[in-house]
Amino acid sequence: MVRSKKEQELLLGTLDMLILKTLLPGPAHGHTIAHVIEHTSEDVLQIEQGSLYPALHRLEDRGWVSSYWGTSENNRKARFYRLTATGRKQLRIETDRWHAMVQAIGRIVGGRTVTE
Amino acid sequence: MSLRRYFRRREWDQERVREMEAYLGEEIDDNIARGMTPEEARRRAYIQFGNPAVVREEIWEMNSFVWVENLGRDLRYAFRQLRRNPGFAVIATVTLALGISANTAIFSLVNGLLFSSLHIQDENRMVEIGFRQQGNEWQPNLSIPEYRALHEQSSDVFSQVIGDEYGLDGLTMAGNKPDRIFTDYVTGDYFDSLGAKPLLGRFFLASEGVMPGADPLIVLSYDYWKQHFGSDPNVIGRQVALNGHPLTVIGVAPRSFRGVNPALAIQAFLPLAMEVPITNVPAADFNKQSNRGMRLYARLQPGVTRASADARLSVMARLLASAHPDTENGADMHTFPLSAGRNAGFDPDNTLGGIAAMFQGLAGLVLLLACVNVANLLMVRATVREREMVIRSALGARHSRLIRQMLTESILLALFGGIGGMGLGFCGSSLLSSISLQTDLPIRFDCGFDWHVFVFSAAVALLAGVLVGLVPALRMARTDLNFVLREGGRGIAGGSNRFRNALVVVQVASAFILLIVAGLFTRSLSAGQHTSLGFNPDNVLTLAMDPVEIGYNDAQTRRFYGRLLERIRALPGVKVATTSGSTPMGIINNGDDTVSVPGYQAAPGQPEPSLLYNVIGTQFFETLQIPLVQGRNFVDGDTESGPRVAIISEAMAKKYWPHQDPLGRQFTMGSDPGHPMQVVGVAGDARYQGIAGPIGPLFYVPFLQRSAQNSLQTLQVRTAGDPAAMIATVEHSIGEMAPTLPIFEVKTLRQALYSPNGLLVYQVITAVAGIMGTMGLILSVIGVYSVLSYVVTQKTGEIGVRMALGAQRGDILKIVFKQGFWILGIGMVIGLAGAFGVSHLLRSLIVVSATDPATYVSVTAILAAIAILACYVPARRAMHVDPMQALRAE
Repeated sequence: MVRSKKEQELLLGTLDMLILKTLLPGPAHGHTIAHVIEHTSEDVLQIEQGSLYPALHRLEDRGWVSSYWGTSENNRKARFYRLTATGRKQLRIETDRWHAMVQAIGRIVGGRTVTE
Repeated sequence: MSLRRYFRRREWDQERVREMEAYLGEEIDDNIARGMTPEEARRRAYIQFGNPAVVREEIWEMNSFVWVENLGRDLRYAFRQLRRNPGFAVIATVTLALGISANTAIFSLVNGLLFSSLHIQDENRMVEIGFRQQGNEWQPNLSIPEYRALHEQSSDVFSQVIGDEYGLDGLTMAGNKPDRIFTDYVTGDYFDSLGAKPLLGRFFLASEGVMPGADPLIVLSYDYWKQHFGSDPNVIGRQVALNGHPLTVIGVAPRSFRGVNPALAIQAFLPLAMEVPITNVPAADFNKQSNRGMRLYARLQPGVTRASADARLSVMARLLASAHPDTENGADMHTFPLSAGRNAGFDPDNTLGGIAAMFQGLAGLVLLLACVNVANLLMVRATVREREMVIRSALGARHSRLIRQMLTESILLALFGGIGGMGLGFCGSSLLSSISLQTDLPIRFDCGFDWHVFVFSAAVALLAGVLVGLVPALRMARTDLNFVLREGGRGIAGGSNRFRNALVVVQVASAFILLIVAGLFTRSLSAGQHTSLGFNPDNVLTLAMDPVEIGYNDAQTRRFYGRLLERIRALPGVKVATTSGSTPMGIINNGDDTVSVPGYQAAPGQPEPSLLYNVIGTQFFETLQIPLVQGRNFVDGDTESGPRVAIISEAMAKKYWPHQDPLGRQFTMGSDPGHPMQVVGVAGDARYQGIAGPIGPLFYVPFLQRSAQNSLQTLQVRTAGDPAAMIATVEHSIGEMAPTLPIFEVKTLRQALYSPNGLLVYQVITAVAGIMGTMGLILSVIGVYSVLSYVVTQKTGEIGVRMALGAQRGDILKIVFKQGFWILGIGMVIGLAGAFGVSHLLRSLIVVSATDPATYVSVTAILAAIAILACYVPARRAMHVDPMQALRAE
């Protein structure tokens, strides 16, 4: 888990994008979202303590996701989140920006060296 | 964030709780599935998820207007804190209220004088026109032909040029005794150009006021209409008489209309040319190029700056000079802001703004003193509340949050102080404006208590709140609160007292400056009361009158005064009597004029001031007991048919004819270049205005040679006994000759000394400076006392140890006094430097020297004595510390 405050901020900015991306195949509830992010990243990324729900709230507030109560796999009542049309658009924008940034940073840092 | 969310945030929060429960349930299930015990699974789930309460709080805040809510909470909390400690709250509020009130009161005066709105359209595009000749001083007065020239030829820079001329006339309604009113003779477009709309009826037309006597119309001011016409809505069309000339009321001005000079309470407006019949101006004089009695105002064309207007005016003045070489020689014109005419005039080093700024500065010092005291109190309180702060911080309050809390408290205090201060300030300013000007003239001394003052006071209060709260808040910000917790209560304020001492040094210095200023004015007032006036103010009765007000023409007026003097001089108890246009320290009627003296060359670059002159009857010098140093007095034979004569003052003789015999010399007045006057006598110098500085040159001309437009005369009677006892007799004699003639400014010459032209200004300034000095003294003494008390309380342990080790009481006294003396000494040295600076700025106002030793010595002594007393009380307490108890308390 990333601990340093600066790095955490970097991740906070991308957390929104990661959540949106997770919701692209279909609706999911909070626990699934967290696990998908963690598993897909092969446990490199873990959602910072207590940041998932504020992020979901923020996304819903901006109208990028909508939510409804449903039943989870384990038969629990859970809140499901679904990507909206604007959310889809936003995901595209953020993904583009992410790629542009990664390329830019890559150009500066150079290729990954083995010595590191 | 939507409002809907805001109102549904409680419900929303419940949903989040359920949602997070579901999440945690899933996670726990997963963990159990991974083989953990239920407890471990739970624990790990919570660690991974974080604190649900914090998450809820975060989402709650996202649904709230956090800033407003925190402010509300801070305010509620601050309010409770203050209520819990009412003594502190009251003292702090009162202290701040005092400081703020001083600023509010002074600012309301400054505002009334300089900033308050005139309620005229586009006020800052209006300018006043100044005129001068031969590089002399700028004057606000121009003649009617000059007005016409400007009006017709300056439309490229001015969209409007208007003018007016003030008068004092007698208004009669249906056979009543005339009521003496302040009139304004205005050009026809005067009201329109100022953007005024009549309350009733109409204003003048542009065509009215051009032909002498052609428009017998009058417009009443709102106040006069209300007071003397009972707000009669049918007043339009009523017939009145002004100086015996019938006029028709055509309009009433709106309440807010104050003309262009708010200090003058004008009661009625008339068309300009009506002054010819009404005030007996000879028609020839009315159109005379050099008869300069009008004030001119102009509105700048859009896009035209004052500088370009000035350039245009200079060209016009040169044209005037070449067209009228005899009367416009060396003429120049210039624009001035309207506010220049509001106070003393066009003098570039006009002191009024400076005085206003200085008093505002002194009031600022009082506020500073008050703030320092309250900051000190707050700092002591901060020590007491350290634990509270530490606990709040331990419970998760951020530093910034605590600082905001403290600032909220101090601003709340300042708010209360501000409300109190505005109330007190309002009382103060009404007290100031209710000061009797000791004159019957309708001059208004209006403290503009308008929105400017409210905004100013609110800003001052806010500033005070921040200033007061910032000190303890910043100190707290620098402190490691955990350290305090470990140290067990001996915390923040215990560290260094240097800052606290510095604050008290500031207080002592400010109080010193305030006291010096108060002292200098007090000394000036008493010096002014004993200054040599050049005349004897005792046993003289003065009564002013103007026969023009009852319709007398020039010849009748002359005859009237001649017969009046005969009668009065014959009264038993009257030693000698005279009439004069101006009375020293009283009405200054004739004003001033430039003079040209053949052979006299002004120093280059030095503007020649205009001289005061006085139009007097015979026996003037005997009545006022001004010595006639040389030559002869005016006699009954000095009439219009005889050669023009003048008597000059010694200062004038010295200035224009140094080391020469002035008798028989000739000079001319700027307004009357056609009639050179011959000097027939030299009189001693007498003070007419002000008590400070050297007496300026002035000259006298006989009434019988200049009676036209000088019909307003003051009868001066030197009596054998108490002059006040003669009032009834003298008024009766006047009444027998002219039963309807209004008599005003009835007072003894001694009383007249306390008029605005005399000592009144000093009385007011001395009182105001005295009040501020006293406030400063009290506040600074409280400051010294509270700091030393605090030091003693703080050092009780140390003192106890010292005493246990054998220190004598005297030694302890010395320790406390030493600290007090340091503060006092440094404060006084800084104060001394400041006081020198301030009094240097004041030197034009004060009669005594700016470094008057008596003032400095006595102020130093008083401040030191009282401050030492303030040191002594805590020092004594220190002396009586019981070592055992002190040590045990440790």
